[in-house]
Amino acid sequence: MFVVLRDLLRYNGEFLAGILLTGIVVVMALLSFFSPYPPMDQFVAPMDVPPSAAHWFGTTSRGQDLFWLLTYSIRNTLAFGLLVAILSRILSLSIGLLAGYRGGWVDRVLMSINDTFIVIPLFPILVLFYFVMRDNMSWVMLAVLTASLGWSYDARLIRSVALSLRHREFTQTAVFSGMRTHEILSKEHLPFVLPIVFSTSLNNMNWSIGLEVTLAVLGFTDINRPSVGGMIYWANQHSAVVAGIWWWIAFPVGLVVMLFIGLYLLAVSMNEYIDPRSRLERGGGRKE
Amino acid sequence: MRVYARYAAGRFLQFLLVVFIGINLAYVITHATPIDPVEHTVSVATAFGQTAPDAIESMRQSLRELYGLTGSPIEQYVNFWRRVIVADFGPSLSAFPTPVSSLIGRATPWTVGLLGVATLITWVIGNSLGGLAGYYRRSRTLKAFGILAMALHPMPYYIAAIVLLIVFGFVWPILPISGGSQMNVPRGWSADYMLSVARHSVLPMLSLILVGLGGWFVGMRSLVSNIVTEDYVTYAELAGVNKTRILTTYVMRNAIVPQVTGLAISLGHIFSGALITERVFGYPGIGSLLVDGVHAGDYSLVLGVTTISILGVSIAVLVIDLIYPLLDPRVTVG
Amino acid sequence: MSAAMQNFAARPEAAEGPVVAVRDLRAWYRLRLFGVDREVKAVDGITFEVRRDEIYGLAGESSSGKSTLVKTIAGAIKPPLEIVDGEIKFSFMPGTKGLSRAPPEIAARVRWRHLSYVMQGSMSVLNPVRRVGASFVDFAARHMGLDKAGFEAAVIAHLARVNLPGSVLMAYPHELSGGMRQRVAIALATICRPDFVIADEPTTALDVVVQKDVLGMFRSIQREMGSSVLFVTHDMGVHAHLTDRLGIMYAGRLVEEARTPDLFARPRHPYTRHLIHSLPSIGDDKPRIGLEGSPPSLASPPSGCRFHPRCAFAAERCRVEVPPMESVGPDHRVACFEKDRVEVTP
Repeated sequence: MFVVLRDLLRYNGEFLAGILLTGIVVVMALLSFFSPYPPMDQFVAPMDVPPSAAHWFGTTSRGQDLFWLLTYSIRNTLAFGLLVAILSRILSLSIGLLAGYRGGWVDRVLMSINDTFIVIPLFPILVLFYFVMRDNMSWVMLAVLTASLGWSYDARLIRSVALSLRHREFTQTAVFSGMRTHEILSKEHLPFVLPIVFSTSLNNMNWSIGLEVTLAVLGFTDINRPSVGGMIYWANQHSAVVAGIWWWIAFPVGLVVMLFIGLYLLAVSMNEYIDPRSRLERGGGRKE
Repeated sequence: MRVYARYAAGRFLQFLLVVFIGINLAYVITHATPIDPVEHTVSVATAFGQTAPDAIESMRQSLRELYGLTGSPIEQYVNFWRRVIVADFGPSLSAFPTPVSSLIGRATPWTVGLLGVATLITWVIGNSLGGLAGYYRRSRTLKAFGILAMALHPMPYYIAAIVLLIVFGFVWPILPISGGSQMNVPRGWSADYMLSVARHSVLPMLSLILVGLGGWFVGMRSLVSNIVTEDYVTYAELAGVNKTRILTTYVMRNAIVPQVTGLAISLGHIFSGALITERVFGYPGIGSLLVDGVHAGDYSLVLGVTTISILGVSIAVLVIDLIYPLLDPRVTVG
Repeated sequence: MSAAMQNFAARPEAAEGPVVAVRDLRAWYRLRLFGVDREVKAVDGITFEVRRDEIYGLAGESSSGKSTLVKTIAGAIKPPLEIVDGEIKFSFMPGTKGLSRAPPEIAARVRWRHLSYVMQGSMSVLNPVRRVGASFVDFAARHMGLDKAGFEAAVIAHLARVNLPGSVLMAYPHELSGGMRQRVAIALATICRPDFVIADEPTTALDVVVQKDVLGMFRSIQREMGSSVLFVTHDMGVHAHLTDRLGIMYAGRLVEEARTPDLFARPRHPYTRHLIHSLPSIGDDKPRIGLEGSPPSLASPPSGCRFHPRCAFAAERCRVEVPPMESVGPDHRVACFEKDRVEVTP
């Protein structure tokens, strides 16, 4: 594991860049624990101050210090992404492994349902959900719904790996030694799909955070809980761009873009590491 | 032909399943939640000024009928489906008494036009460049383009749209940033009107293209770099077949097949993206309608847009699925 | 057959000597993986030639380097494979050193007109989304100088030689059976009447009955066309029936070469002997003796003779020195220090 990490850092520029970008964002989130201000307190700082030594990222029209507000926001946003990733992993793993292992009609039924969830446009459904729930909607509920809609793409991927594992000898050995389906899946097959699970969960986080930011920007989440999208929502409410308070928009957007690119690069470099074909290609291509 | 019929029947069943699950999802969300849309609407309607209690009660009653919330749960469920099938969601509350279906009908051409053209451009450009990048691996221009596409690819539609809005609306204001056409140009098939529509569509379209391009580019690049190692490509190279011919009819032609499937798969996602983009640029399509409906507390409108969106996307996917065998002669066998 | 076709078939008999001459060829895979260099010496100093109008067989177990040798001769060299040393001379390309080093326009003119290729795994050599007829057009039309109708007639006439109806031209590859596809591949490789055909395991994926059928067809086409063939397979039984001369490869090197009947009658290399003895024959109920150990890694091959760790005849010298290829009779060469002992052992 340690060797893998070292090799990745040394030979894969994408991985290094991804680690750096994601690392900065995570450090930002951790700084929230040292914030001098409670997150949603307003008018604790002078209003509309451009970035300066006292307020690194400036302040908002609501009298908040943008830097410290951003630390809370990115922490909440990350927590949302992580929760969705974990929940949807549970779904996509169990469905993907089961479909791939059992094959036959189980596979056909599960994959039909899977394809359905791939195709359905999620944004209107999430909006409908907000519309019905209104102020009763918490971020955990949103995460649960997002996860229960966003497992399908990765389940298909995991299934294709499980399908190839099914015909391997060790699976047969396990079957003959009397292991139950869930035992075979969790003990024999899970280790093989874990690398994919890891890289897909990075992409899944990107996807769910993107959704959350978008919903928040439109005001379709709990706007009184600091989040990156929520900050942009309030900036829009105060016409920050028109008023020339560019920092109110620029810093949240910049930070979240860093996160998107960082996670994406991590996922890409990990995929490359997992796929032996592209590894060989890299090896051969190096001397060009 | 019989094989095709069997394939088409399979796809049609899948289409029905998508519609079934999607519409049920909308039903469950609207009916299984503890919040009563009628009470919500009533509280919005009575928030300003005094209303007589019996007036509120009759309003409550007519809203229940309007929203199809009367009768037993089974009656409600059947009623819900009837309304979806005949596309009758009752009158819109925010634009009373215009029926929701005609509001949606008015907005649909805008969304379909924007989305259709943007998707086509994105798909063609992304795949062509990605294919070239996979084939000519050493080209510096294509490598640079690849890095750019990779940086844009993970961006959510909203972020891309807002950055474009700021750049072209405030920093360098050369393009209209809001609406579908200029207010003072009368609608019709005139050149002025067309030009105005085109100009207004540039930014929303650009944001859809910028975000979408990377995915096709990266996907096609890796497909092509795998396909160039396939036996039939090596064999054609050994046979001295013309390079351009190998690139087009051997490499690209085979790589495009999974990309068509990819288009069907990602259509729902692209559609959601278009709704968001519309909102940012005040484009008069389905997305703006949806967001306005939410803000106005218009239950019928939000429900109508959601179900129509599910229907629309599934139909588009079905169409792609049905023309797919033209591209891949193998599909109707397996 | 049309007059144009007849004319086209006439081959200049000017160039004498072998069709292909390979001298001291070394082709290695050079990999650099996460900072570690690796060299796989898949072809390491091979010399042989293919004469006019003969089928030259090349045998050896998988990973003996025979596929790499074939790729190198066919000019299918892509990184990480590279030619490190040696040369390949074709009679139809005087003055050049092999396809991969020739100017592209000359290579394009030679490919398929003078040199063609039947690849391993006929399942995947045809473009899956195009009809078979389109492949014939892509591969051969530019060499034949016929109009559309004439070309189609020529192709259909040629397909008849491999017992295929003209209707296969309208079929997609997946609609044909394995045997039909292989016959399409053979027809495709021989339509231009090339001087030299490389056949790399062309029958391995087929079942035994179809295999016999296809091999017979191969032989008759070769006789009719007068092409020279380099036929690669690990199946000694196929070699015994088909080839005129036979070379045996082991771990990237040629260890023995002779006329096929001579080689089967009197093998001089212990590895050849093992290959021949492991062939089943009717009425033979002795247990087959397997070879000890596994094929050597080409990344770090054994010192001296590469076969010595598995060789029953190995002496001290074999561990240290590389045995040279020496002539031991007409058209018979072998690289073994103990060749005389091998010959007399029953």
